[in-house]
Amino acid sequence: MRTMTPPSPDGAASPADGGGKRSVLAEWQLALPLALAFASIFLAPLLMLVGVSFFNDEKITQPGFGQWAKFLGDPFSYKVIADTMLLGLKTVCATIVIGYPLALIYLDASPRLQKVLIFIIVMPLLLSVVVRTFAWIVVLGREGVVNTLLLQLGIISEPLRLLQTELGLVISLTQIEMPLMLLPLISVMSRLDPNLRDASSALGASRWRTLFKVIVPLSMPGLVAGCLLVFASSTTAFISQTVIGGVRLIYLPLLIWQQSLVVFNWPFAAVVSLTLLVSVLTVVSALSYLGRRSGGYVHG
Amino acid sequence: MFSRRRLLAGATALGGAAFLPSIAHAKGSVAAAIYPGTWEEAFRAIVAPALKKKDSVDLELQPLFAVDQVAKAKAARGAPPFDAFVLDPGPRITAIQDGLFDKIDIKKISNASKLPAGLVDEWGVGVNAQVVGIAYNPKKVPAPKGWKDLFSEPWVSRLGLTGFQTTFGTVSLIEIAKVFGGSETNIEPALVELKKVLPKIAAVGQPAAMPSLFQQGQCDVMYTNTQTVATLKGRGVDIEFVKPETGAITFLTTLHIAKGATDVENAYKYIDIVAGKEVQEALTKPPYNFIPVNKDVPVPSYLPMKSLDEMSSFVRHDWAKINPLRAGWIEKFNKEMAK
Repeated sequence: MRTMTPPSPDGAASPADGGGKRSVLAEWQLALPLALAFASIFLAPLLMLVGVSFFNDEKITQPGFGQWAKFLGDPFSYKVIADTMLLGLKTVCATIVIGYPLALIYLDASPRLQKVLIFIIVMPLLLSVVVRTFAWIVVLGREGVVNTLLLQLGIISEPLRLLQTELGLVISLTQIEMPLMLLPLISVMSRLDPNLRDASSALGASRWRTLFKVIVPLSMPGLVAGCLLVFASSTTAFISQTVIGGVRLIYLPLLIWQQSLVVFNWPFAAVVSLTLLVSVLTVVSALSYLGRRSGGYVHG
Repeated sequence: MFSRRRLLAGATALGGAAFLPSIAHAKGSVAAAIYPGTWEEAFRAIVAPALKKKDSVDLELQPLFAVDQVAKAKAARGAPPFDAFVLDPGPRITAIQDGLFDKIDIKKISNASKLPAGLVDEWGVGVNAQVVGIAYNPKKVPAPKGWKDLFSEPWVSRLGLTGFQTTFGTVSLIEIAKVFGGSETNIEPALVELKKVLPKIAAVGQPAAMPSLFQQGQCDVMYTNTQTVATLKGRGVDIEFVKPETGAITFLTTLHIAKGATDVENAYKYIDIVAGKEVQEALTKPPYNFIPVNKDVPVPSYLPMKSLDEMSSFVRHDWAKINPLRAGWIEKFNKEMAK
């Protein structure tokens, strides 16, 4: 393997390394292990997945479009796709509504309080998603914390149905996915120049105007990154979806699990997996396109 | 992560033929798939030390649900990631059809004579029986008599359901179908009745979530096995088991040797020790609450039968008929139950 020669002090390539071309080659070679790993552990299985989806039978012997026709010809499939995407969008909205003010509080907090806040934000990530999900059963259950509190306060007379509803699922996913929204948001927002806010208010803008005309547009890259992560993670959150949502709320990950691990119809599971992949990628691309447009607006 | 077993497999491949005899004769280890949760805890606490003591064999447990074991063994195509399976009847039939087992040499299982007839066949050894019926919370609802009761008040609005993903869910729904005029191969009547009461039902959940939902009071009636009832009771949950008037359901959990297993001899020793009196007796005790299959072990008093022979009158199902229909049932259940 070639070694990289450090550039000479005057910045020109030393004669020994044969000029700039060779060091470019060395850099390219350095990326090779990652590229190979990426190709073998991500790209190859993905291609296999695509291949398997074009088989008609469970034993993967007869090539054909049968499974695609079955999935795409069933109106139920479209309902499941739409429900899955909607769940992601609802979770994204909820994390923005709660997460953005939290990020603003973080921005204004003292360095000491910031440390406490970041600890609280990161803490859910330190727990397994299974534990967090089952904890939500205790919180949202018929005799759970929320219902007991509301009953004792006399606000309700019958326990509310929170578990196994989309509302309950969105509430819990909002908490579970919150770090994914807050971490990119905070990292972008804490790099904002504080002078910009002062300048905005010195020029007569109200706090709200400063927020919407200065802070929100400038924090857009963080917000978009957060949205992408939350969306991708919540639409594929199999454990939370099935444990909190129950099996009457059907999303694509449940179908994949049933087809691959219960009935062993791998071609059909591959079709559903690819559908999930394509649908998530479509929404994610749309979100990042919107993000880029709003970024252009700030600088334009 | 490299497990000891994988390293061994790697060494075998690299070292070539010269190494083979010494590895084959090493006391070594056996890798066994095991259900996550109670089974894993129990086998780690009881079976592993017993196997080590008696045969100097290390038991390496790989927590996997039955369907996952079959999926992994299928995907591994002849080089299974473990030596022994633990399976319920449905996945067992699938695995036999896919040729994932080695045939069992009964002579190598010394405890086979202690097991009731029908527990050992050419493919595997039954080491545990499950009894499925109705569980209810006696402080919230009266005891239901049978499956039909679950569809009327006060039970229906406190009912927790699971679908066809698990063995116990499938057989319970079949029994429900039967009381409404269906059969082992016709579950339509169960779905029709369920649909009628669907808005009232307290929970339709993932099987693994059901004990938590019951414990949290989300539902007060559900179908489940005696082991779950005993375990929840041990945690102080108000729960009782009812044998439905049409009969409790029973099915076996069986151990099998994987085709292409690297430690076949040790896998036999493992199966033998699980079927043995000491291990079977220890497994029946709390918090594990297994149903014993060894004739020398007394049947625990909380079970709905006095002896193992009584279980021959319990309801059993033919999974060779059920398996081909199950995919369709799951699809139908999804569509009928979806909100």
